[in-house]
Amino acid sequence: MTAGGKRSGAVFPVLAAALLGALVLSAATGPVSISPRAAFDAIFRGTDDTPGRVLLSLRLPRALLGALVGGALASSGVAFQALLRNPLADPYILGVSGGAAVGALTVALFLSADASPLLPLCAFGGAALAALAVFLLARRRSGVSPERLILMGVVVGAFLNAVIMLMVTLSPPGKIPGALYWLMGDLGLGTPRRVAVLFPYVALGTVLLYLLSRGLDLLLLGDHAAFQAGLSVERVKTATYLTASLLAGSVVAVSGLIGFVGLIVPHGARVLVGSGHRRLLPASFLLGGAFLVLSDTLARVASPAGELPVGAVTALAGAPFFLHLLRRNGGRS
Amino acid sequence: MNPVLSARGVGFGYGDRDILRGVSVDLFPGEVTILLGPNGAGKSTLIRILSGILPPREGEVLMCGRPPGEFRRREMARLLSVVGQDPPVDFPMTVQAYVALGRFPHQGFFGGTSKEDLEQVERAMEKTELTGLRDRTLAEISAGERQRATVARAIAQGARVMLLDEPTAFLDIRHRVAFYEIVTQLKETCGIAALVASHDLSLCAEYGERIVLLSGGTVAAQGRPEEVLTPGNVHAAYGVAVACDRNPATGAIRVTPLRGMPTKN
Repeated sequence: MTAGGKRSGAVFPVLAAALLGALVLSAATGPVSISPRAAFDAIFRGTDDTPGRVLLSLRLPRALLGALVGGALASSGVAFQALLRNPLADPYILGVSGGAAVGALTVALFLSADASPLLPLCAFGGAALAALAVFLLARRRSGVSPERLILMGVVVGAFLNAVIMLMVTLSPPGKIPGALYWLMGDLGLGTPRRVAVLFPYVALGTVLLYLLSRGLDLLLLGDHAAFQAGLSVERVKTATYLTASLLAGSVVAVSGLIGFVGLIVPHGARVLVGSGHRRLLPASFLLGGAFLVLSDTLARVASPAGELPVGAVTALAGAPFFLHLLRRNGGRS
Repeated sequence: MNPVLSARGVGFGYGDRDILRGVSVDLFPGEVTILLGPNGAGKSTLIRILSGILPPREGEVLMCGRPPGEFRRREMARLLSVVGQDPPVDFPMTVQAYVALGRFPHQGFFGGTSKEDLEQVERAMEKTELTGLRDRTLAEISAGERQRATVARAIAQGARVMLLDEPTAFLDIRHRVAFYEIVTQLKETCGIAALVASHDLSLCAEYGERIVLLSGGTVAAQGRPEEVLTPGNVHAAYGVAVACDRNPATGAIRVTPLRGMPTKN
């Protein structure tokens, strides 16, 4: 019994099965049909034929990338929500993803090196700076109101978008289409190498956040009450802010700007397991992974002319949901 | 007997606006001290300073004879619990989970929940009559029930000193009386020291060993209830004419407001 309360133990197996199911569905969906037999042979016997190559070098990396990205975005959203005591927080809305995009673009456009391990680090730097800017701009002596924070996130995000457009325009012509597609949020760049680049960052970030669980529980009480309950508030907040920025930044570096996952998924996960972070964080990771993999599968089959960027699918679902939360929240305060 | 928590000549303010000036208060083990004073007298600020959230601009705060800054956070929280006027929790959290957060200073940051933790949480919820609401979320219960949950969280924290900022503001008379009975019980069985900010003059005279009357940022009077609760002191602080006598049923000081528009002071 940590903060959260709801105890039904079956939630985690169900969520894990959902993620697995989403991965299988994603791997099975596409123009080249792959029989279960062929998939088995390709994975366990190393059979080298067309379905096997499609599966191992295209579909599975893309699906795994989706799971990592979705899980990391959802975890980052949970952390920002606890940090700011604001259920509307999400790395995309707060402008953190925009900061990460500027950081990643700096490397991708001007220093070259595709899928460089430097990319996530620079994106992390951009994310951390953007989060800091939004937080300082929103802060007043009376504290930070949720609405003001969202407003500053939008302002900083708009400014960063302009910077992004400027950078794309100034970049070598050959790189522009790829950069634009990446910006819209895309998992199509999922190669085994990118999955390998992203994995350590996501693993580090989610484990660190999990270790901060108790502190995140107490942050929900507000700074004063958390302090009086024995928490070193500033230390936990700094660690949370850096870790959440690392997760959001490294994800943006490989998959661009995918919005609203960090907003929708934690809300869903809270309904399932409550607000205690020892359960909420793993549940959000699994749910976020499943959600993004399914969204990506949908994006691939939805349009006959070509693929939709997955960011468009998550925004189509997420923006109305955000409005709903904003209205509900506004009515209460 | 040495005070367990004391403020010595504490002053505080924002810019050139003074909120507290030369406030000295001592809290003793096994004693309930009531903090009275009109709205804006500086009661909440004094409690924040005593709890270590705000550093005093002048004077000093001593916890067991040492400045609060010398304690580690969790060590301090095992000694001192606070019921403040905190913003609502905007996330779905059950009453039981909320009360359990009070056990944090007794748990490892990375560790689990012990049997002792569960027992203390259960006991705190029983005392505050919340066991029937344990699985409800904070948004689903009334303001008075939330206030009892906050008190339960402070009780579960198991500290030797409790600072409570208007903990009975939203409570009905049953739960008001129950609150003071719980504090009295903790005082008698565990020897805690409590400081309770309140606006309930008669009820606190019934339960408080000592009363501190704060007015305009300074201590206007301090001492036993019969010394502090006089018509002159109450009128000077609140601008309200009152009659003070002994309640024939209990023998405690009884403060009865008299009709008439309060005067400015």
